[in-house]
Amino acid sequence: MTPLASGAPDGPGAPAPLARVRNLAVRHVGARTASPAGATLEIRPGEVVLLLGPSGSGKSTLALTLNGLIPHAVPAEVTGTVEIAGLDARTTPVSVLSTHVGMVFQDPDAQLVTGTVLDDVAFGPENLRLPVDEVLARSENALRRVGLWERRAENPDRLSGGGRQRLAIACALAMGSPLLVLDEPTANLDPAGIEDVYVALHDLVRHPDGTPRDHAILLVEHNLDAAVMLTDRVVVLDAEGRTIADGPVDEVLRGRAEELHAMGVWLPVSTLAALRLRRAGWVFDRLPLTPDELRAAVTAVPGPASAPRVVTAPVTAGEPVVEVRGLTLRRGRREVLHDVDLTVRAGEFVAVVGANGAGKTSLVQAIAGVVPVPRGTVRVGGADVARTDARSLSRRIGFVFQNPEHQFIAHTVFDEIAHGLRRQKLPDAEVHARATEVLRRFGLEDSAEQHPFLLSGGQKRRLSVGTALVAGAPVLVLDEPTFGQDRARAEELLRLLRELQEAGTTIIVVTHDMHLVTEYATRTVVLAEGRVRADAATADVFADEALLRAAGLRLPPLRQALRGVSHAALRGAIRLADLPGGAA
Amino acid sequence: MSVAADPYAEVAASRRFLTGLNPLAKLAGPLPAILLLVFVRDLATPSVFLALGYVVILTGARLTRTVALILGVALPLGVVVFGVGMSVWIDASRIDRSVEVVSIGAWTLYGGALEIGFATSLRLAAIVALALIAGLTTTGPDLVRASVQQLRVPYRVGYTALAAFRFVPRFRHELDIIRQAHRVRGAHGGRFGVVARWWGYVVPLLAGAIRHAERVALAMDARAFGAFPDRTERHLVPFGVRDVVFLAACWLVSAAVFVVLFPWTLG
Amino acid sequence: MAAASRLSTRVLLVCAAIGVATGLLTVVAGYVSAPVWAILPIVYGLVLGAHVVPGVIAQALLRMPWVALVTHLLAGIVASAFAPQWVGRYLGMALLVGGLQEGVAALTRYRHWEGWRFFISAVVVGAVLIVGMGFALDAGKLAPWAVTVFYALLILGPVLWTFVGLAIGSGLRRAGVARTTVGARG
Ligand SMILES: Nc1ncnc2c1ncn2[C@@H]1O[C@H](COP(=O)(O)OP(=O)(O)OP(=O)(O)O)[C@@H](O)[C@H]1O
Ligand SMILES: Nc1ncnc2c1ncn2[C@@H]1O[C@H](COP(=O)(O)OP(=O)(O)OP(=O)(O)O)[C@@H](O)[C@H]1O
Ligand SMILES: [Mg+2]
Ligand SMILES: [Mg+2]
Repeated sequence: MTPLASGAPDGPGAPAPLARVRNLAVRHVGARTASPAGATLEIRPGEVVLLLGPSGSGKSTLALTLNGLIPHAVPAEVTGTVEIAGLDARTTPVSVLSTHVGMVFQDPDAQLVTGTVLDDVAFGPENLRLPVDEVLARSENALRRVGLWERRAENPDRLSGGGRQRLAIACALAMGSPLLVLDEPTANLDPAGIEDVYVALHDLVRHPDGTPRDHAILLVEHNLDAAVMLTDRVVVLDAEGRTIADGPVDEVLRGRAEELHAMGVWLPVSTLAALRLRRAGWVFDRLPLTPDELRAAVTAVPGPASAPRVVTAPVTAGEPVVEVRGLTLRRGRREVLHDVDLTVRAGEFVAVVGANGAGKTSLVQAIAGVVPVPRGTVRVGGADVARTDARSLSRRIGFVFQNPEHQFIAHTVFDEIAHGLRRQKLPDAEVHARATEVLRRFGLEDSAEQHPFLLSGGQKRRLSVGTALVAGAPVLVLDEPTFGQDRARAEELLRLLRELQEAGTTIIVVTHDMHLVTEYATRTVVLAEGRVRADAATADVFADEALLRAAGLRLPPLRQALRGVSHAALRGAIRLADLPGGAA
Repeated sequence: MSVAADPYAEVAASRRFLTGLNPLAKLAGPLPAILLLVFVRDLATPSVFLALGYVVILTGARLTRTVALILGVALPLGVVVFGVGMSVWIDASRIDRSVEVVSIGAWTLYGGALEIGFATSLRLAAIVALALIAGLTTTGPDLVRASVQQLRVPYRVGYTALAAFRFVPRFRHELDIIRQAHRVRGAHGGRFGVVARWWGYVVPLLAGAIRHAERVALAMDARAFGAFPDRTERHLVPFGVRDVVFLAACWLVSAAVFVVLFPWTLG
Repeated sequence: MAAASRLSTRVLLVCAAIGVATGLLTVVAGYVSAPVWAILPIVYGLVLGAHVVPGVIAQALLRMPWVALVTHLLAGIVASAFAPQWVGRYLGMALLVGGLQEGVAALTRYRHWEGWRFFISAVVVGAVLIVGMGFALDAGKLAPWAVTVFYALLILGPVLWTFVGLAIGSGLRRAGVARTTVGARG
C-alpha cells in the first residue's frame, strides 16, 4: 500500500486531476430526491480511489456521470460540477469523454458486442475512427495487459466469468483512457474469478516492484477484502450521497472504521473482526485491513486472557426431511451428477458450494423436483419426488430461483402471495388472512397492491421467499440468492433465512460467497465434478484448505487470517460470531 | 429449421465460389426471377428455375448435412405434400375435368386440379431454392457488414444487430429458466392452460430482455459507439468483379428463361 | 433511413431485444407454419399474422418514429443469422410489415397511439398480404368459399395478433419497463 499525498489541495508540481467532482447532485427522472446529493472528490494520475457508501447513496450514479452517460444517455437532473481533464462532463459528448474515462460494469455479459475477443476490444477504437494499425496495436496492448492475447480468436462466451470481466477491462483500456471506473466488477463472479480480476487490476496499476504505474482507478466495490490491497485513497458517501470522508486508506478506513461501520458502510471482514476483538479488550495500534495484517496483529500480542472459545454444540437436528440415495442425473447427453448421497435433517441450514459447473444447481433442482429424477432416488418429507405431483410437492418443499422476477406470475404483490393458497382451494377469507400475515412478516404490507416488478431488489427477494413459504413448505431451497447483490442486501436475506431456520424451517442454499456460508450455514456440502467431495459441519469443512482449493474454492477471509493462530479464544473460529466481543 | 450454434462463426473457408461472393450479390442475383415467378402460372418455368437453383447451390456451396437435408428431403417432400394439399381446395367447376385421379363419394380429384396444385407448389419451391443460394452460403455478420458497407444501412443499426446475436442464446436460456420457475409455482392449469402459461412467460422474458438491452447500450455508448458518421472497418466485404459477373449472369440467365418460355399470354 | 440513425443506442438495443424475445416466443409459429401450409393452407393467415407482433410492441412501448421498422429489421437480421437459409423470407417480411406499420404511424404524424390506430395498421397489413398471397397461391383458382375464408383470415390474423401485441405492451408498461427509455414522451 502506497498512500499518496492526495486529498491535499493542488500544490505546485502536483499533477492536475484527471477527474474533479464538486458538490455533485443527481436527480433521476421520477425520483423525488437527489442521490448523490453533494459528492466531492478528485482523482489524480496513478491513484486508486475506492468509493464507499451505503446502498442507494448514489455510487453507481456518480460513476455514470464521470463519462457523461448521465445525463446524455440516462436522463437526469445534474447540478454541481464534473470536470474530466478540464472538460465539463455535462456538456461534452460521451464519445469525447470515453477517451478519458473507461468504464467497466457489473455484468460481464452486458459488455460484449461482437463475436471474438479481439473484435470486442477493437470495437471501441474502431468507433473512434482510428486507423487499422492503431486499432490493432491498441487491442494487442490491452489484451496482453490482462493476459488474454493468446485467446484473441475465441468467442468470449468460452471465457470464464473472471476472463470475461478481464476482457471488459481490456476493452476499457483500449479506449486509451487514463482513468478506469469499475462499478462492482466482481459481484457476479465466483471466488476464483474474483481473484483473477484483482490480479489483473494489480498488474495494471503497479509495477512488479510495487511502484505505481500511470493508470488511475475509481473502484466502487462491496467486496472490500479484495479491494483494500489495491487502494490508495478512500472516499465515503453518506446515505444521502454527500462526501463525508476523503483521505488515504489509513486515515479513513483504519481511523474512522467504527463510524463507517455504524453508517452501514461495509468494511473488510478482517477489520470487522478487529473491531469486535477490540471490544473484548484487544489492543491494535493499526486496525488491520487484510487477513495477513489481522494475523500479524493477533500473533504479535498475547491478547487479553479471555476464556477459551466455547464451541457451541451443533444444533441437534431432527428427522431426515431430504434423502438423496444414489442419484445419478443426466442433462442433455452428459451425466452431471454421479451417485450422490445426501441427507438433510429438519432444522438444518445447509450450504452447497463448489466451482462453476460442479453440479450444485442440478443437485438442488433435483431435490426440489424442478428437473425430473429417477424413481426412488430423492425423497422429501418421506415422499418420492419422482412420483409426487407439483402441487403436493410445493407443500413439502419451496424453491427460490436466482432471479426473483423469473418466478413472479401475478400483477400485484398480494396476488403473488395468495396464488399458492388459492391453488390449495382454501376459502377466500383464509387466503386473505394468511397472505396478509406473510406480507406483514416480510415487511411488504405497504406494497400489497404494487406490481411485483416495481419493488426494490431486496423487497423482490423477500417476496420470492414469501411465495415459496406460503404454501407451508417446511423445506426451503435457494439457488445463489445473493448473486449480483451487495453484501448488505445479502446479509439481510441470510438473516431472514436464519430467523426462518430458528422457527423450524430447513434451509438449503447454493452460494459462492464463502463468508456468508461460514457465518450462517451449520453444515456445508462441497461438490466437485458432480460428486460430493465433503459433507460435514461448516467449521470442519473450512479447516481443510487443500480440500477447498482442490474443489476450486478459497478460504473465507477470517479463516485465512486465523490460520495457525493459537490463541485460545481465536483458535478454530470461522465466523465473526465466534469471536469474543459480541454485544451479548 | 437448423440452428447454427455460433452465429459469428466464419463459414469454413471453402473454394466453392458462392462462399466468396458478396452477400448482396447473392441476394440480388436471383431477386428479379423470384419476383417474376410470383406471377407465373405454368409448370415449365418454375421447374427450370428450381433446377437452376439446385445447380448453382450444388456447384457453388459446400455439401453439408444441412444443405443435403434441405435440398434432398425437405424441398422435394414439400413440393409433393403442398401440391396435393393445394389441389384439394381448387374449385372443380373452373378446371379441366377430363382425368379423374381419385374419387371419394361425391368428391373427385381431377387431373386439372393436380396440375394447378403442382404449378403452385413448384413455383414456391423454385422461389425457396433461389433464396437458398444466399441463405446457405452467407453468415449473419457478413450480411450486416455488406449492408453497412454497400447499402449504406446506418452502421449503428448494423452493429446493434451484431450485438443482438448474443441475445438469442441468452434469452433462450432465460426462457427455459422462467418456464422452470413457473412450473415450480404450479402456475395456471385449466382448459386454456397452454395459452395462459405462455402468456405468463411474456412479461418476465421481455422485461429481463429490455433491461439487459439497456445495460448493453450503456456499455456500447461508453465505448464511443455512434461518435462519428462512420467507423473504421477491419473486416471489409468488398463488392468486386466476381460479384458483378455473378449478378450479370443471374440476370441474363433469368431473362433468357423468361424470354424463351414466355409463360404469359399477352392481350 | 437517415432518421433511424438519430435513435439513441438505448432505443436501438431495446428494439433489438423486443425483436429477439418475441422471435423466441413465436418460434412455435415457425414450427406450425410448414404443416399448416401443407395440410390447411387456407388458415395460413392466422399464422402469418403473428409477424405484426414485434412492431406493435415496439410502438406501444416506445411511441417513437422508426421503432417499428427498426425492430422488424433487427429481428429479421438476427433470425437470418441463426437460420440463414430463410434470409430472404425474414428480411422480406420485416421490410413489408415493418414498413407498413411505420407508414401508418407516420401518416398519423406519430401522434396517435390509441388502439384503433394499431388496428388500422393491422388491416392494411392484411390487405397487402391478400394481394401478395393471392398471386403466390393462385387464389383465383380456389373454391370461392375457400378464397373467402383465406382472405378473411389474412385480415383477421394481423388484427388478432395486434391485440396480443397491445396487451403485451400494456403489461410491460404496468411492470415499469423501459420507463426512462421512453423518457419525456412518457
Ligand atoms: N435509472 C434510474 N432511474 C431512476 N432512479 C434511479 C435510476 N438509477 C438509480 N436510481 C436511484 O438513484 C439512487 C442512487 O442509486 P445508485 O444505483 O447510484 O446507488 P448505489 O450507491 O450505487 O447503490 P448500490 O450500492 O445498491 O449499488 C437510488 O435511490 C436509485 O433508486
Ligand atoms: N440443461 C442442461 N443441459 C445440458 N447440460 C447442462 C444443463 N444444465 C447444466 N448442464 C451442465 O451440467 C453441469 C452442472 O451444471 P450446474 O448448473 O448444476 O452447475 P453449478 O454447480 O450450478 O454451476 P454454477 O456455479 O455455474 O451455477 C455443467 O457442466 C453444465 O454445463
Ligand atoms: Mg451501485
Ligand atoms: Mg448454478
